[in-house]
Amino acid sequence: MNKEFKVLSRPYMVWLSVLVFIPILAMLVISFSNLNSSVSMSELVLSVSHFNLLWESSTLIAFRNSILFATITTFISFVLGYFIAYEIKLSKFKNKFILLTFVILPMWSNLILRTESLANIMSENNILKSIIGFNIFGNISGTWIAVLFGLVFTYMPFMILSVYTALEKIDFALEEAALDLGLRPIKKFWKVVFPLSFKGVVTGSIMVFLPTLAGFAIPKILSRGQIVFIGNIIEQKFIYTNYNHGALLAVVILIFILGSILLLTKFDKEGETLL
Amino acid sequence: MKRIILMTFVLSLSLIFVACSSSPKLRLLNWGEYINDAVVEKFEAETGIDLIISVADSNELFYSKIKSQTTAFDLVIPSDYMIEKMVEEDMLIELDYSKLDNRAEVTYMDGVVQIFDSMSETTLARSNKTINYYDFAVPYFWGTFGIIYNNRVEGLEEALNEHGWDVYFEADTYFPTARRGMYDVPQFAYAAAMMYLGNNPNDYSTEYLNQVQAVIEGADFIEWGDDTLKRNVEADNLDMAFVYTGDYLDRLYMQLEEGKTLEEVRSDFDIYIPDTTMVFIDCMVIPNTATNIDGAHQFINFLLDPVNAALNAEVVGYAVAFDEAFNQITSYLDSADTWRHNWATANSIYYNMEVERTFYPLTTLNPNDVDAIGTMIQNVITG
Amino acid sequence: MEKEHASIQDYGYRDFSTLNRIYQVFKKVLIVLIVLGLYISIIVIAIQSLNESRNLSDFTRLSFQWYGNILQEEELMQAIRNTFLVSSIATVLATFLGTFFAIGLYALSKKVRVFWMLLNNVPILNADIVTGFSLMLMFRLLMVIFPNIFGLFTLVMAHLFFTIPYVILSVMPKLKETDPNLMDAAMDLGVRPYKALVKVVIPAIKAGIFSGMLLALTMSIDDFAISYFNTGAGFDNLSIWIYAVIGRRNLTPSVYAFSTLLTIFTLFGLLIYQFLQRQKKGRKNEKNNFNDIRS
Repeated sequence: MNKEFKVLSRPYMVWLSVLVFIPILAMLVISFSNLNSSVSMSELVLSVSHFNLLWESSTLIAFRNSILFATITTFISFVLGYFIAYEIKLSKFKNKFILLTFVILPMWSNLILRTESLANIMSENNILKSIIGFNIFGNISGTWIAVLFGLVFTYMPFMILSVYTALEKIDFALEEAALDLGLRPIKKFWKVVFPLSFKGVVTGSIMVFLPTLAGFAIPKILSRGQIVFIGNIIEQKFIYTNYNHGALLAVVILIFILGSILLLTKFDKEGETLL
Repeated sequence: MKRIILMTFVLSLSLIFVACSSSPKLRLLNWGEYINDAVVEKFEAETGIDLIISVADSNELFYSKIKSQTTAFDLVIPSDYMIEKMVEEDMLIELDYSKLDNRAEVTYMDGVVQIFDSMSETTLARSNKTINYYDFAVPYFWGTFGIIYNNRVEGLEEALNEHGWDVYFEADTYFPTARRGMYDVPQFAYAAAMMYLGNNPNDYSTEYLNQVQAVIEGADFIEWGDDTLKRNVEADNLDMAFVYTGDYLDRLYMQLEEGKTLEEVRSDFDIYIPDTTMVFIDCMVIPNTATNIDGAHQFINFLLDPVNAALNAEVVGYAVAFDEAFNQITSYLDSADTWRHNWATANSIYYNMEVERTFYPLTTLNPNDVDAIGTMIQNVITG
Repeated sequence: MEKEHASIQDYGYRDFSTLNRIYQVFKKVLIVLIVLGLYISIIVIAIQSLNESRNLSDFTRLSFQWYGNILQEEELMQAIRNTFLVSSIATVLATFLGTFFAIGLYALSKKVRVFWMLLNNVPILNADIVTGFSLMLMFRLLMVIFPNIFGLFTLVMAHLFFTIPYVILSVMPKLKETDPNLMDAAMDLGVRPYKALVKVVIPAIKAGIFSGMLLALTMSIDDFAISYFNTGAGFDNLSIWIYAVIGRRNLTPSVYAFSTLLTIFTLFGLLIYQFLQRQKKGRKNEKNNFNDIRS
């Protein structure tokens, strides 16, 4: 790309520096000190006393839950979402953007309304049962299955959209060539189509993984408050104005995730599949 | 490129010029759906003030909103413990009673007076300051907490009436299969367990904390929720939960409106109010960010009129704070109108002030203690 | 496939037609199930909006009263108006700015780009409440100069903050796929760089821009925590209103009615658009058959 366009990124760099860097620095200060709304500057003390929080069993379990659920959700979204994106690509329907809008349309309704309605029909006595007479989900409200279902079907549209964007560009001639060269359709898919769409999968995975990891509303509602994610703890801390703890957890997550992304780019030889 | 810059410029300009109307404004920070629209209309018609309502769902969010000063709110309706905290941090201005003529017309209910007294007491005990909370706050609604229960469970009602808190917390002894739920506010859970143990819910010590943890673990809660609790008990998806009495009345009013009788609803689900229970009060206070202080007083004065207070209570399930308004509601006991009759009956049953009860309003605990309670609850849930 | 003495199986051909047929059926079932999974909550919301009773666990009778009620719910209407205003402004700006920022970032050397793309993830990754809170603190600094800044302006800025990264994330992979020669070719033909950008690069990354726009709108329309901290002057959006009401009181089913209407109108809009497009195509086809085959 023309180097002249570099200048277009300048405003965004300023924007990110001001709105991301400074708050992160502030969060670091807050998590390493006793700074809060009622402490004046003169009483400010640096301390690592908040770090006990990190070894609290609930924090560790919440971390584990977040990472576990986010990973599984990403994987299931990838399998199902790729399938749907591929079908959209193959479909004879001309206006692909209509199909894409159709896929993401549910997300335009409020997340809480959607999640509560899911929780509603997952419980023992619910509105669907009162119409059709039986429970389609059984009584899974409050279990990990309910949470996983909610997470997958809430965030999957992100995966579909990103994968489709990548698939869209693949030249049909390439696929035909592969078939002409004697590859079976399945092999053609693995050898030709999938590698070319991998960038979309990575983007989609980031878009599914990150909000799942940091989210709190879906696990809270669908587990009936019994499965705690790290997002739930951060939210609690901030609401009860314990900014020190909240900031500490937020910073730890940030470092953890950004670190792992950075590590991935290091291992990625060609360096272009990821960022 | 020029077009890009121009477009961005025009768009940001259009953002800055937000239309302003000319009539005086009163900015109110309130709980969602916590005011009768009829009251708003009446107030606006009488005073010509434009009431602008912002909403939030917790005292803590109120606090951060006022503290951040991002909007100059003229009036807020926080609960007791948050008022204590706001007064302590000098966030409220004193009321000017010369502008509140209607104050002389009403008598605060006994329960309300108890709460105000106990707020002053806890402040005195904690910080050695004598603060008269009447100087800052005028009650809006108040109410008790209770255990909402599923009356379709055989024998639960009798057991609750006989053994009270024990039934709720001792899952091994009473109704081991019952599905129990708790508010996901750590301090509520702590306070409930403290009252079960026979202690003052506002006391804190590590020893208490450990006892409370054992109690909560013993209760085997299957749900930590908020509004979902009352709906799940109503739908027969939960058997017991510790909630605001107003939560129950909310659902009750709704079902009454849809043509059920009081007896029918009560035979499905009901609320038990323990002899020792928590109470809360929501009061109108003027934060020091206020710009329309006069208007704020006008609004408070307006709601000090028992007629308006009763009108407001028609859609909100909490208890009115003035004897006069309460009497007006209960006078409908003889009303031919079914809804009014039921409304009056519900008020006289659930906010019956003849029963001797010990009321504890929550106080703001030391932040470290609040945190320890929160962590303890999280450990119970994840444990 | 008919069998012969020296069958083609001997040459390594395997008959997948039965397997293929099973796969075709399986595929259809799976598509239906996934779509159902995506839409089940919307269907339930629709059912709740058609229920005469406000009780969410028991369907008593079919009724459209909550639809008529929407207009009378003043607070709800105000919240809906605010949501539309904020989200449309934020989406347009985010798509527009995000695309150009992405192009700018792409022009950087790889090392530098990786760093900024990492930062670009922060708004997506950070817990909403943390983002909301830190943005509020930053905007407060501006209050010294503009005391009444909080309201629509800060709300839109905050929404831009977390929507632009989504646009960049979806545009960036498309940019990498574009042929670098495209630009050069255009410039060799004497087109100025920015003109070439608009004429050549933008069309090539159209799909990415579009999905970025969809994502931006989706994130913006449904945000609560960030909006809560950065709104002001009573400018509450629908999510703030829903959160506030749901905690202590009962939501009016008119909210469900509105939600259903939004879905249905969008679906209808899509259908009508498709219909119009087809008509246009039909007319075009007569003279322009060749182009259609290629696309």
